[in-house]
Parts: sequence; structure tokens; C-alpha cells
Amino acid sequence: MFENTKCECGHQNPPDTTLCESCGKPLGGEALTEGPLEMRYDGVARRSQKANPNLLDRIWSFFSSVKVAVVLIVITLIAATLGTIYPQENAFINFDPSWYEENYGLAGKIYYKLGLSRTYESWWFITLLVMIGASLVICSLDRVVPLYKALNKQQVRKHIQFLTRQRVTYAAELEGDDAEWTRKLAAELRKKRFRVTAEESALLAEKHRFSRWGPYINHVGLIIFLLAVLARAIPGWQMDEYVGVREGETVQIPETNYYVKNLDFEVDYYTDDELPERLKGTLRPKRFVTKAELYVCEANCGSTALEPVLRKVKEHDILVNDPLEYKGLKLFQFDYDTTPQLKAIHPVLVDLKSGETYGPFELSIMEPEPEYELGPYRLKLITRFLDFTVNANGEPSNLSSQPNAPAFLFLIEGPDLPEGGETFFYFPIPTDRERFGQDVINGELAERFDFRVTDMAHVEFLGDISYLNVRVDRALPFVFIGAFISLIGLVMGFYWQHRRVWLRIDGGRLTLGAHTNKNWYGLRSEVAAVLRAAGLEADPKSLDNGGKKR
Amino acid sequence: MKGRTRKITQLVILIGIVLLGGYAVGTTLFASDEKPKVGGRPPAFENVADIEGNLHSLADYAGRPVIINFWGTFCPPCVAEMPAIERQYQKYKDQGLVVLAINLSEDDITVRDFLKRFDLSFTILRDKNRMIERKYALRSYPTTFFIGRDGRITDIDTGGMSDEEIERYILKLLET
Repeated sequence: MFENTKCECGHQNPPDTTLCESCGKPLGGEALTEGPLEMRYDGVARRSQKANPNLLDRIWSFFSSVKVAVVLIVITLIAATLGTIYPQENAFINFDPSWYEENYGLAGKIYYKLGLSRTYESWWFITLLVMIGASLVICSLDRVVPLYKALNKQQVRKHIQFLTRQRVTYAAELEGDDAEWTRKLAAELRKKRFRVTAEESALLAEKHRFSRWGPYINHVGLIIFLLAVLARAIPGWQMDEYVGVREGETVQIPETNYYVKNLDFEVDYYTDDELPERLKGTLRPKRFVTKAELYVCEANCGSTALEPVLRKVKEHDILVNDPLEYKGLKLFQFDYDTTPQLKAIHPVLVDLKSGETYGPFELSIMEPEPEYELGPYRLKLITRFLDFTVNANGEPSNLSSQPNAPAFLFLIEGPDLPEGGETFFYFPIPTDRERFGQDVINGELAERFDFRVTDMAHVEFLGDISYLNVRVDRALPFVFIGAFISLIGLVMGFYWQHRRVWLRIDGGRLTLGAHTNKNWYGLRSEVAAVLRAAGLEADPKSLDNGGKKR
Repeated sequence: MKGRTRKITQLVILIGIVLLGGYAVGTTLFASDEKPKVGGRPPAFENVADIEGNLHSLADYAGRPVIINFWGTFCPPCVAEMPAIERQYQKYKDQGLVVLAINLSEDDITVRDFLKRFDLSFTILRDKNRMIERKYALRSYPTTFFIGRDGRITDIDTGGMSDEEIERYILKLLET
């Protein structure tokens, strides 16, 4: 069906136009109503309003609907709320799926099974965000383009009905020349900083049009914000990992080509003088720092067998809130472990019978020698345990791969010992020696030999472990840019109003209509002031033509 | 804007949204695939040393049924299942079965001394700094992955296994 959309002024309007694009005469349904006009988007048809929509148009008009946008935002808000009920999976360094049930019972199990434990990474949540993004883009375009055009080619002389049906109107009989009055009113309006376009006996005065673009600039900011958030899914854009590096060691940063070396770790504690009464005598760290070097791997990266080829790219002393930064990669000081662990000891072999001592010799915990020559005696290493325990079968074994309780099993050969030697268990840590009963295990030999470490100078410890938090967030600058643009848009829209005043004088009769997008009170008093300055009687309240109070 | 240009703009914007949105949603859908799953492919590893220092890559065994077992001397059930794995390996090695038993980043002496106590003929590989372990997202030990000739994981077993269990998994493997 074809609608006759031609206005009496001769302008051909698109279908669903409510106010003639040219003269402003109410059209279609709007012409049948009474009272103030619906001035949204100046009555122009939105782009999605088409006579015969196809599939493309239907998708477009779905997303162009503000109702749809509100529904999407509400659903997203509810979903985002659900995600805050229990901690999200990504809050754990080592995640265990049974955690939810153990801590929250059935509700926790259901929460996990529904996938709410990963709400913000779930496909449906991202889909919602994408749909909000689509709605933002399409809603804005659908309105901003026609609005821009409408405001860009405004007719000065408007239809009488357009003027009398504004929410701010005024009419009066004038004495004198129409053109003279027009010039006078134009001059008064200019004093109020209106930009005036005048014709012979009609004028359009306008100010702060830019505030109409505020919401769209806000939307541009939000779209950038949203894109930045979604961009975190791009490989390498976001990372949040933890690495523990012992002093002197070089460790690969997971999922990257970078290696980090801990040259030295230092921690200073508060002295008792600096601590309050209840904390005296406790170790309270004051400052901890990792002297770190960052390397980029050029070959054999991540190999378990081949030495990686590394090139140093950066060195920095990492303090809390002073990370090492390199090309968007940040290494933050996170934690440390100064629990001493043995690296090597330098014991002497004591012949308890004669009191003779042999050594000291260097006994490395991780890499002991297969044989040691000590005076007339020879020690052959049979085996070594790092974290000694006796397993369920009564066999000696390891509890972990960490050197928490080292133990050495030697074969001692030498004078007055049987052919083929005798075995001797040695626990370097005194408490282990007690715990595992070294003297009992060694039996008679315990009365003949012992290993002794004469003083602490003969003990070497492994360096402290520094825990670093490795973060990459390339999206963050864009999040801030988006948020900033969005704020600019909000300020533009909130603190200024787009005010327009139209008037025409037809043979001594003045008809005035005025419109603003907010603060009608301000507009009325401004128009009244202009009229009074031109010598016309006008009270702000009398200009009110009804309509919604804002 | 006239009809035609308008249509093209609409199309371009919609396609842009579909592409960007599709990428964003797509990455969330496939992100969970990092962890090896039954039916999926095992994470690749290259140049991992065995006890003699020879280098092995998972790709070397493409087209053959492979068992990847993660073990440590500090893990009693890992130790307990070793002889069973050896017996089943002997039984099926002629049919192309490969066993790669990856040690959990223990030191030389521990691994060497441990192996002296067992007569194991399958390949023992040495992980370092938990690199392979992390790729396979291990949560508990022992964990064993069964990989078919088609390169897909047929089963993942956590905890110690008996002869019967291993054999059942192997028979399923050989069918691939």
C-alpha cells in the first residue's frame, strides 16, 4: 500500500514521518491528535521505519528498538548479579571443581553445573554483551543520522500548527512593520546568545545544538568500552599468572616466550620499636624487593631437555606496586617464601673410636657426587632421598619432589670394615635424624662413625622464593579511553540544552513556538525575557502550553 | 541517504557485528578446549629427554596407540601401577603400543635410583619445571591418557590402575 506522504508545502516525506521535514506540519497520526507535538527526533522517520521490511530490515529494526535494548540490559544485569553469588572459578590459582559442593552443598553443585561459576566467560553472557553492542550501534545510527539531517536543513518558516502546538507558545497582535519586529526580536535573541537565521518575517533562533550529540558520543564511548572488554579474549591480550622464582634461578613465564631471573630477593622486617605492643616479637615485613631480569627466549623455548637461548631485555627491582614492565607485560611482587631449604652442607666424617675427623667435604643436596674420598675411607652414594619417608610397604621413599627432608644412603669402605663396605644412612637436618632414628637404622655402625657439621658456616641454603604475579592487560587503555569519551558525552548531554525558538509574523500577528530537550522552565523564562525586552507583555507561566512537566 | 547506500551501510554494520560478535562468542566456546578431554587431541610436546638423554616428541608416535602416564616416586599409587603397566606393555607392544611414562619433574638421582628397583622397558620421559604437566592440566597423580591411532584421546584415568583396567583401556585403543 502506498501512503501519500507529500506535505501541503510540497515536501515529499518518507513513510511514518510525523512532522513534515520541511515546514513542520503535523502529519499522519500526529495530525489527528491535539495538544503539544511529539518532538522526538524532530518528527522524522527513523531509518528502520520502512514500508515493506525484508529480513535485513527486520533484524535492523529489532536492534533499533529501545525497548529491546532495555530488556537486554536488564537480562544482562540479572545475569551479572547471578555471577556474584559465589566466587568465580578464575579467583582460584588451582581450581578444584568439587570446591563448590564442599563449601555450599547442593546449591554450590547446581551453581557449578549451571556454569554460573564462569558467568562472565560464558558464551551466553558474551552473546548478551554482543547484542547490547549491536543494539547500541544500531539504535544510535538509526536515530542520529535522521536527526543530524533534520537539524542540518531546518526550515525557518514553520507551519502555524507546528508553532501553536509547541509546548512553549506565544501569540500577539503587533503594531507596526513585520520586518521591523522580526529584526528587533532577532537582536534580542542574539543577546541571549542564540544563533538566529532570519527571513523577511520569520526567524529561527537556536543554541547549544551540540548537546543533542551527547548521548551518541556517550554511546561511542560505551561501544569502545565494550569492544575493549571483548578484546580480552584475543590471545595475548589478557593474562593473570603466578610464578615462583628462587634466587639465582631463571623460570619461564607460562604461555609466553619470556623468562624471568631472580638475581636477589630481600625482605626487611619492622623492628620491635616500630611495631605496636601486640605485634612486638612477630615478623612483619616492611619492604620486600626482587632484583629481577627479564629475558626473551629465542630458541628451545619451553623445552624440557634443551637449554633455552635467552636474550636479556630488561632489569628492574620489583617492589610492591612497582612492577617490572616490558611491552605490556607487568611483573608484580606478590608473595615470598623464606623458609630455609638446604642447598649443600660441608660435614666432617668422625671416627668416634679414635676421635679422628676427615673432611669437611661438600655434600650437595640436589647434585651429590657418586663418590667421596675421606682419608682412608671411601663413601659411595647408593641413593639419596629429597623428602624422606617410609611408605606403606615399609620401604624408604619420597613424600614430594621438594628437598624438605633430605637423606643419603652411603656405602662406607675402608680399614676395619667388612669387604664390600657397610651402609650408613645420613640425615643432614638434626630434627630428621631424630624423627627417622638415624642411629637406630645404622645400628652398630652408629657407634663408630658420624657426620658432623661443625658450624653454620658449613651449611649453604637455597635462596628465597619470590612469587610474582604476571599480568598483561592490553585492553585497559581502551577501556579508559571508552570511559572518558562516554563521560564527555554525558557532560554534553546533561549540562547543556538544545533550545530553539521559531516565530513568524503574518500581517501583524506574531506566532511563536519554542522547544528544548530539557529544562523547560529555563526556556520559558528566557523566551519571556526576550519578549519583554522587545516590549511585549509576557509572563513565563503564560507561555506554557501544557505537555509533560520536566 | 538513498535506499541503496542505506542498505549497503546496514549490511556492512550487521556483518561487522556478526564477525566481531562471532569471534568473541567463538573464543569463549573453544577456550575450554585447552584442557585435554576424551575425544580431543592431547597437547603436543617436543624434544623431551628420556633416561639416556634421547629426545622424544609426541608427533614421533603419530598413528600408533599411545599411553601417556604421569608418575612420581613420591606418589605411592603411581609406583604401585608401574609393574602392571610393564606387564600390559609386554603383552601388546608387538601390536604397536607405545608407553610414555612422564616423570613429574623430579631430579636425576631420584629417578635413576627408582628405576634401578624396577625392570621397566617402556619409555620414561623427564618433565622439567612441570612444563608438560601444566600443559596436560593435571590435578592429581597418577593420571594416564590413552591416545588412539587417530590421535584422539579415548580415555583418561586418574588414580592407580590394575592389570584388568589397563588391558580394557588398551583393547579399546587397539580398535581405533
